[in-house]
Amino acid sequence: MTRLALVLLAALLVAPVARASDRHPSQAELEGEVMCPVCGTTLDQSDSPAARQIKRVIAQRIAAGDTKSQIENRLVAEYGEAILAAPRRKGFGLLAWWVPIVGIVGAAVVIGLGAWRWSRAREGEPEGVRLDPALERRLDDELARWERH
Amino acid sequence: MARSVRLAAQALALALVVGLLALLVWRVVHDSNKGVSQALRDGEHPTAPSFDLARLDGRGRIDLASLRGKRPIVLDFWASWCLPCIQESKRLETARKTYGNRVIFLGVDTKDFSGDARQWQRKHGITYPSVHDGSGNVLSEWGGLPIPRIFFVARSGKVVGELVVEEDLLRYLRQIAS
Repeated sequence: MTRLALVLLAALLVAPVARASDRHPSQAELEGEVMCPVCGTTLDQSDSPAARQIKRVIAQRIAAGDTKSQIENRLVAEYGEAILAAPRRKGFGLLAWWVPIVGIVGAAVVIGLGAWRWSRAREGEPEGVRLDPALERRLDDELARWERH
Repeated sequence: MARSVRLAAQALALALVVGLLALLVWRVVHDSNKGVSQALRDGEHPTAPSFDLARLDGRGRIDLASLRGKRPIVLDFWASWCLPCIQESKRLETARKTYGNRVIFLGVDTKDFSGDARQWQRKHGITYPSVHDGSGNVLSEWGGLPIPRIFFVARSGKVVGELVVEEDLLRYLRQIAS
């Protein structure tokens, strides 16, 4: 319960920061999240003419007061979704974010269930091999005699 | 009940594996598409891959397949950030004065801002129409970067060549215009 409260608190603290970033994106932030269409890296890693062109447009749009979403939408309209370094957290792009999480949680559940069933099976097993009572009595007698010597 | 659940889980796992295998096969087959440029280098003359893209000037779209059989085409892949493209496009613009009534000159502005591209055309006096291939998907089918890339498509729709050296321009123009 405490953990859940902490997670909710963290989300509440992060949300205004994310909204502020959307309203007033920085050049560096967008350059790290937008791909250079001819070099296979993000804009901040490239100084190619194509990258410089997009950097210039981003700077112009920031100066014009566009939000991060508006700038991203503009870039996607020109270059397609591949211009974004990470898929967007909406529509089909959401799959890219949720499938790994669901996969990891699913694998953890399967492993946990397997381990639980395995440990239950171990508990049900007899503790040891039980000897025939006559043989056990004889073994005790033999041990007692050996100890006396 | 437990048995049917187990069977369903096994069927689901099997379906997942088969799906992933199908995806892998599709990807391998898709990647084996070598592109027009490579096919030409291998001595083949492939049919021009069709595309249907918006015109840069905003006046509708151009479907390459719809031009097949009408007139031969010179296809110019360019971008406003590409410095060598200026010279090549100007050469095509000059050639258009002689061959424009027999050959269609068509530009494909690729991986570019359409606004910058329009400005670039005005600045350099390029008047033949261009379409916008922002994602570069069409360029990839024809051979990918670097640009400029200029292809010559015969009236039949077969690609007869790609401009490699300066002399190729007139040679291929004469060939497809005849």
